[in-house]
Amino acid sequence: MATGIIKVAPPPEDKNLFQMAYGYASTIFAGMWKTGVIFFMQITGLEKTNTLEWPEQPATYSERFKGKHFLTRRDDGQVRCTACFLCATACPAECITIVAGQHPTNEIEKFPVRFEIDILRCVFCGFCEEACPVDAIRLGPEYAMAGAAGDKWVYTKDYLADRGQLHGGITSVKEENTKHFTTDHNPRGDDLIATDAPHMRHH
Amino acid sequence: MSEAKPKIILRTEGLPDQRSIKTYVDKAEGYTAVRKVLGGLSREQVIEEVKQSGLRGRGGAGFLTGLKWSFVPKDMPGPKYLICNNDESEPGTFKDRYICAVNPHQVIEGMIIAAYAIGANKGYIYTRWEFQEEIGYLETAIKEAYEAGFLGKNLLGSGFDFELDHYSGAGAYICGEETGLISSLEGKKGQPKVKPPFPAVSGYLGRPTIVNNTETLANVPWIINHGPKAFRQWGTEKSPGTKVFSISGALNKPGVYEVPLGYPFESLLNDEGGGMQAGRSLKALIPGGASAPVLTPTECEGLTMDYEAMAQRGTMLGSGAVIIIDDRQSIAELLKVTIDFFAHESCGQCTPCREGTGWLNNIMDGILDRSAKPDNIERLRTVSRNMGGKTICALSDACAMPVMAFVQKFSDELHAYLAAGSGSHRQ
Amino acid sequence: MSQESQVTQLPKETITFNLNDRDITVPKGTTVMEAAHRNDVYIPHFCWHPGLSIAGVCRFCLVKVDNRPKLEIACNLQATPGMKVSTLLPEVKEAHKWALEFHLVNHPLDCPICDQAGECKLQDFYMEVGKYKSEMDRPKVLKPKALNVGSELVLDTERCILCDRCVRFEQEVTKTGALGIFNRGDRAIVGTYPDKKIEHNYQDNLVDICPVGAFTSRDFRFKQRVWFLKDKPAVCPGCSTGCHVNVYAKPEVRTYFRVKPRESAVNSHWMCDTGRKTYKHLNQDQRLRFPVATDTTGKRKRVSTAEAVASLVAQLRSVAVQDVALLVSPQYTCEEYAAFFDFFVKKLGVTKVFQWREPTEKLEEFDGLLYRGDHNPNTFGLSEALAKVGLPKDVKNGFDDLARSGAKLVVALAPEIGFQFPSLESQFQRLSELPFVSVWTTSAAAYNVQAFKHLLPLKGFAEKRGSFLNYQGKVGELAHPFPAAVDDAHDVVEVVTAVADVWAHAL
Repeated sequence: MATGIIKVAPPPEDKNLFQMAYGYASTIFAGMWKTGVIFFMQITGLEKTNTLEWPEQPATYSERFKGKHFLTRRDDGQVRCTACFLCATACPAECITIVAGQHPTNEIEKFPVRFEIDILRCVFCGFCEEACPVDAIRLGPEYAMAGAAGDKWVYTKDYLADRGQLHGGITSVKEENTKHFTTDHNPRGDDLIATDAPHMRHH
Repeated sequence: MSEAKPKIILRTEGLPDQRSIKTYVDKAEGYTAVRKVLGGLSREQVIEEVKQSGLRGRGGAGFLTGLKWSFVPKDMPGPKYLICNNDESEPGTFKDRYICAVNPHQVIEGMIIAAYAIGANKGYIYTRWEFQEEIGYLETAIKEAYEAGFLGKNLLGSGFDFELDHYSGAGAYICGEETGLISSLEGKKGQPKVKPPFPAVSGYLGRPTIVNNTETLANVPWIINHGPKAFRQWGTEKSPGTKVFSISGALNKPGVYEVPLGYPFESLLNDEGGGMQAGRSLKALIPGGASAPVLTPTECEGLTMDYEAMAQRGTMLGSGAVIIIDDRQSIAELLKVTIDFFAHESCGQCTPCREGTGWLNNIMDGILDRSAKPDNIERLRTVSRNMGGKTICALSDACAMPVMAFVQKFSDELHAYLAAGSGSHRQ
Repeated sequence: MSQESQVTQLPKETITFNLNDRDITVPKGTTVMEAAHRNDVYIPHFCWHPGLSIAGVCRFCLVKVDNRPKLEIACNLQATPGMKVSTLLPEVKEAHKWALEFHLVNHPLDCPICDQAGECKLQDFYMEVGKYKSEMDRPKVLKPKALNVGSELVLDTERCILCDRCVRFEQEVTKTGALGIFNRGDRAIVGTYPDKKIEHNYQDNLVDICPVGAFTSRDFRFKQRVWFLKDKPAVCPGCSTGCHVNVYAKPEVRTYFRVKPRESAVNSHWMCDTGRKTYKHLNQDQRLRFPVATDTTGKRKRVSTAEAVASLVAQLRSVAVQDVALLVSPQYTCEEYAAFFDFFVKKLGVTKVFQWREPTEKLEEFDGLLYRGDHNPNTFGLSEALAKVGLPKDVKNGFDDLARSGAKLVVALAPEIGFQFPSLESQFQRLSELPFVSVWTTSAAAYNVQAFKHLLPLKGFAEKRGSFLNYQGKVGELAHPFPAAVDDAHDVVEVVTAVADVWAHAL
């Protein structure tokens, strides 16, 4: 029944000094007893503690943990990233800076000349990993990123890509967009003669 | 045994020196229709005669010829053109080349009359390049006609000029499409033009142009000489006259035969064609060239060779290329050949045809090497259904319709083919 | 490129037809596509372009007309009285789905590396029209990629959807006919004829008209993703034609990336490649960043605008008015000239005014399309401004006259666009021989001339408000400025106001 009145317990009546003292003492005792029991149990090893003695004991997280970023590589060792800017666009913190460039081989065509993440701005949301169409960037398991004030807080491409020691390696799982055509044609190179077009799918 | 067949087109067939103008004049009423027309018929009268006869285009579309001629604006000054479409490229069709080899003069005479009817003073015969012998025959015939005074200036003293040239193509099916042919004749890439404007109003070099099939034009002299009623004694109400059929496949007498429209298919197969070869049975019939949807043997029961009967069964009479498919033939391989042809010949201008034919071909390759998934067979139909009706010319439909028919009627065989790991190859 | 047609047009016969439940009246002979384009109804299309002939090859602009069973293409359909056209019926939308599917069947998955992403018609229609699940699961047709076909272009034939726009452009607009489509069917590719190259000054228009990333600009290649760019309308300052353009920049990093044409009566849909370079001088690496004046020892140092203005006023006061000369480049706006002459000529009484022009210029030169020999956007405006204050307005380079005039103090408005001025270096040299020159400029090139002791940084054409008068006297508005790429930059009006202010107070 909505009457607009909520019933609450009446405030306790004023206690006399003895009652107050009893109240304090009993709660303190109860608390200390609890603490003491657990202390005893854990120190004798009867009960396991939940404390992890890091860094001697490493902390393990699930596979979905979003830690330090890394750039994956192709089979031939080059960075998988094609500098499409989707991660930079998706990033809510606007912490990714990319400068794209023409790759010397035409099969790859576009690659990041610079790829930097300002890790202090990053909120580890994982949008960049989701946005990437070619599985070029992942957030990995590394969580230890503390450092001193003067340290480098902008991770560059070399650092991001140079993490082969991660468990499972860092080869990208997405296939290369098949480009049959040879690498001879570089935009700075030969001219196109249309009738020279290489023969496509057989007819 | 069949009664004597009418011969409107192949009148000089089998006669000694059948192609010469002398044979044509002596034995086949040669150039008498021209005399009659130039002797006193008006343009409108000629068009009316052809309209009354109900003659339909014999190249594949079956459009009423007289009606087509009447689309040319009568009072427009300036040159007009008449073009004979001898670019016979529909797979299975070889009747126009036969006409050129047997009776080329009738084609020329038909052209003169047609040109007179539409007011054209210049004509071209456009023959596909591969018909080297036939090109020779035509050029000889044209020379003979010029020498006899049936081509050139002031024909038979009537004041009507008609110059006729031969022009050969360079190996493209799409140049059989009338605007593709016109583009090729203009020296451009043989790509069809967007319509409107229609060739009758703006065609070759922007002038009114009529493009007619060889066989259609070859009918005209006879109609003028004997009249529409006589023409209509053969054939049906909507498909009068005769048709030259080229019949091929595993039968005893494949070849070119002229029979009246409405002729029973069974008779064509067993009488003219001599019946199936020993030990072979009819598996399917393609009645009008590769672009005509296939018919199963059941559907062939009671089939007559005319436009309406074909349309009723969901196919078309087309160019009259009758292809007999026997039981040895794998439908999958036949379908591949058909699709490959259209994919190879698509001019590439408009997207649905270019990509559609290519996609169908891609799927067929996948079916042949068994790399395609089973749902691709139904996909042949989906793609075909969406290819048609939206393109500049009808090549897209010409590819789509037979594919849909094959998949619909022989779906089981295609699925079985795909499922069989190590292929059932042709013997 | 319409020349002025002062001839009054005879009223054209008009017809009315119904488009999407709206009655539209258009001149007889207009196609449905044109009618829609002029009336803000968008019919999706690829191969149609208002500046080119009709091709009708993409088969995408399908519309439903009356009760005709087949859909028709709008670009080749002449509107007839009473015709009822619909672009919104479900039948039309279904047709679009497969029309797009066919375009995408062999299209490579290049979006990550393709510059057209963000302004690509295939992407736009994909989002709009759908059929999101493609049914194509076979290997695609492969074609040559990333090819060199012109100094400004990169051609990727695999991305090409064979809309034929580039071929028509080459035939109809530049009349060079270097491009064609070769092979048949799905092997068709676009390319140059064997003996031809694309060598004209209008190559980047091919990039504009290409609806996909087949033709991309080599200058812009990989520099930036277009969704980060903002564009504002302006007028090209490259020559006296004054093509209407859009300037693209990323204001957050104060960088300009490209210039594209904007449709107008002056330039139709095109602009020349020379004009496209007029964003480069706006970027910070080429800008004068701060005012420069000399300290008491005569050494150059960076100063604030107020200090620079004060220093100029002091110099002005120290000479007689007949020793003051003005050297004015015809690249500034009419408003700037008005303010400049108001103060220096009308108020101060300076009579020695000279024009800063390129001595080797050929004013009558014209390439037949857009680019003119007068490489200044506002010669007309300058002449008018001079005439207004009673000074001679003939168009000639004033360097010789300046040298003869014996001026001791020169206030110079330097040309903003330097790359079309081969004599600029030598002109700087000549100028630096005069006793005191105050150079107002956008460009760092002036800074490199050590003899210039007084420099004021200016805003570029895309950063200020104003107007140019083109060779016909038509107004081109600069009405949407970007914030200046350099903090201390001002336009001439602002500087003159400051100078006038200090001058007035110093009296």
